[in-house]
Amino acid sequence: MTTGKPHPNYTAIWLWLMGLMGLGVAASFLPGGRTLAVVVVFAVACVKAVLVAANFMHLRFEPALIYALVLIPLLFLVVLAAALLPDFVWHSVSR
Amino acid sequence: MTTATAEHLRHSVWTTYVFSTDHKTIAKQYLAQGLFWIVVGGLLAGAMRWQLAWPDTKVPLLGEIGPEVYNMLVTMHGTIMVFFVAMPILLGAFGNFLIPLMIGARDMVFPRLNMLSVWTFALASLVMLASFFVPGGAASAGWTGYPPVSAKPVYTGVTWGINLWILGLALEFASFLMGGVNYLTTAIVLRAPGMTLARVPLVVWQQLTAAALFLLSVGPLIAGAVMLLMDRTLGTGFFSPELGGDPLLWQHLFWFFGHPEVYVVLLPALGFVLEVLPVFSRKPIFGYRWIIGATVVAAALSFIVWAHHMFISGMDPRLAMPFSVTTILISVPFAYLIFAMIATLWRGSIRFDVPMLWALGFLTMFIGGGLTGIFNGSAPADIYLSGTYFIVAHFHYTLFSTVFFGGFAGVYYWFPKMFGRVLHGGLGHAHFWLTLVFFNVTFFPMHHLGLAGMVRRIANPLQYDALVPHQWINVLATYGTLCLLAAQIPFAINILWSWLAGAPAANNPWNATTLEWAAPSPPPHLNWGARVPTVHRGAYEYSVPGEPLDWLSQDSAPPARTETGSPR
Amino acid sequence: MIAHVEIPGLPAGIAPGKVAVWWFLASEIMVFGGLIATYIVFRLGGSGWAEASHHLNVTLATVNTLVLLTSSYTVVQAFVAAERRDARAVRGHLALTILGGFIFLGLKAVEYTTEIRAGFTPGTGIFWSFYYMMTGLHALHVIGGIVVNGAVLATEGVSVRHPHRVELAGLYWHFVDVVWIFLFPLLYLA
Repeated sequence: MTTGKPHPNYTAIWLWLMGLMGLGVAASFLPGGRTLAVVVVFAVACVKAVLVAANFMHLRFEPALIYALVLIPLLFLVVLAAALLPDFVWHSVSR
Repeated sequence: MTTATAEHLRHSVWTTYVFSTDHKTIAKQYLAQGLFWIVVGGLLAGAMRWQLAWPDTKVPLLGEIGPEVYNMLVTMHGTIMVFFVAMPILLGAFGNFLIPLMIGARDMVFPRLNMLSVWTFALASLVMLASFFVPGGAASAGWTGYPPVSAKPVYTGVTWGINLWILGLALEFASFLMGGVNYLTTAIVLRAPGMTLARVPLVVWQQLTAAALFLLSVGPLIAGAVMLLMDRTLGTGFFSPELGGDPLLWQHLFWFFGHPEVYVVLLPALGFVLEVLPVFSRKPIFGYRWIIGATVVAAALSFIVWAHHMFISGMDPRLAMPFSVTTILISVPFAYLIFAMIATLWRGSIRFDVPMLWALGFLTMFIGGGLTGIFNGSAPADIYLSGTYFIVAHFHYTLFSTVFFGGFAGVYYWFPKMFGRVLHGGLGHAHFWLTLVFFNVTFFPMHHLGLAGMVRRIANPLQYDALVPHQWINVLATYGTLCLLAAQIPFAINILWSWLAGAPAANNPWNATTLEWAAPSPPPHLNWGARVPTVHRGAYEYSVPGEPLDWLSQDSAPPARTETGSPR
Repeated sequence: MIAHVEIPGLPAGIAPGKVAVWWFLASEIMVFGGLIATYIVFRLGGSGWAEASHHLNVTLATVNTLVLLTSSYTVVQAFVAAERRDARAVRGHLALTILGGFIFLGLKAVEYTTEIRAGFTPGTGIFWSFYYMMTGLHALHVIGGIVVNGAVLATEGVSVRHPHRVELAGLYWHFVDVVWIFLFPLLYLA
């Protein structure tokens, strides 16, 4: 249980989440090429997700087994996405 | 434990046998459902084979069969055997029965979740059964359900059948997700004192790996199944090129799950064999830690081999080589497992009891399936072999070995513990030898048939001139199938007769070391009387030098010697 | 049911319920992750997705994101309150969390209605197929979360004695929030 372990400052985390959300929305209105905007927006999403997972979900304080339950699926998803790229993005034959 | 016993006495017939939270009863409920479905699946196979051998005749009970009905037989045979026979028996029944007993627990960590899981499975069974009786009939797009055949009713004429098929599978997935969570949590938190992970019997390790494999691989297929249902009912176009989708997406999502799924089926049965071999060789299992390591490596690798099912799908050819490499790689840990099993037998004191016969049958037959797997894993060979009866032979040599040879090894071995009765040995021998012979008569010639060019899922081989000279193989396989089905009759008689009126079984008829044999046969509610056992050694202490008996149970008193060598 | 056990070989004090919930979340990561990975790959390989996404209501979705992030905050405060044995605060924070869930669903319903009235149905195009599927599946999980949180609220006497129940309900709710954290930019902002 996480009772008895130190708690993160949940309020501070929430403020960061609000701020990052604003940043993400603002970034989507960036002028110029879409690529930079998309990268920023996605990076912001990743930071928010890590903040929620590590702090609200207490991952920072959990044993390695729990970490593994998050990391291993993510690894498999990378494999899946990588294997889908040739068929759906790098078309060798025109569709 | 008096309060618990008193509580137990307050149970009615309903809560003892129907709405039970006892893992042993739930195991038997899974077993009963699996045995029901094996009869259905076997009869479907019989009908298929009759049609293939004598295409212009009436199949008993069904009449003349055209391609549409044949496709339905093929589809439901595959779906039922994988999801409604193999999984409930190997994983549901034996996982539930064995895991708490073998780790020294009184029940699963979440008994009510366990009950929910078996009832969800019962609901899934009802939905699947219903699909046979709706207008348009049951699903007929193959157990693999490829779109556009599965996505557009115009191709099959089946509407509700495929929707119910998707729903039934979704419920089955939910059932095994619940069960898997229960198994994994129980094994992590409820092990008896002294039961370190290194002393846990291999069958439990295999069950856990299978549960984890299923949990981690089924997700993308759930996503795909929702997409298929939406394509069928809401007009979306995930798999329709004209709407921007792609049928290949389904194949990737299906096989990403589909390949780990075959190991979900294999690993529990492998576990049964790994338990049986040491007991009936009176020798420790060879390479316990390496077996666990090889299993985990194979499980991890199983996530990166899936496209070997898609070599002829029209996918990007650049994917062929990496997936061929990974597929050949995965044969390495499995080869290790086979060698470890053979090494266990080497110079053992072999007893040919019925469970051992099945285990040896698994070992020999699975090697056959494994060898043809190496051919199929290589893209250049598979381009010719894929979709032919060579593949059918391959997966029956592997799956049938798993479900039948491995499964019956488990059934005959643990029947005394589960039901407190002894199975008849003579009937068991007859069952084994007849099954072994007719299994090979049915499936071995199919290798040749596939090489000769007979493709899968065709209702009438005689429509193709090139196949006419090979039709004798189809006829032979059908006779083999009918005899194979008949060979199960000794088992049906045996299990019913012994369950009702067989000789009572002792606690440990096999002189085995694992914890379940320390409990009565069958174990009472809450398994262990007043005190949970304490474990002092590993699970395979057979023929230990210097010991008077050729076996040392895991919970018997520790040695009187005070040497500081680490206890195994 | 066992609440706390010592396991040989594992750090002391890991509750069985937490292990179970994380295994369940691992499988859910594969469901939504598989969906999201497919969406990303399809989008990288397709065209016209950005134009289609311009028809979505970014404002409503931003409000929804705000609501969901805040509801994650309130559910974790409910856990803190349960540890403090503050039953009123537990009830209050859980109620706020459930309210957040309902607001989310309400705004989503408004979005769906507007879009369907404008002629954008699941069959309109591949972007719309993914949009309805991903947000629909997510919304179903929000409903599930409301039910779970409601059950914890209804039995809050038990929850105050066993704070980890609130924590476990919160874990599922946070997961639903994290999925939305990714769906929002993927569908609305990119």
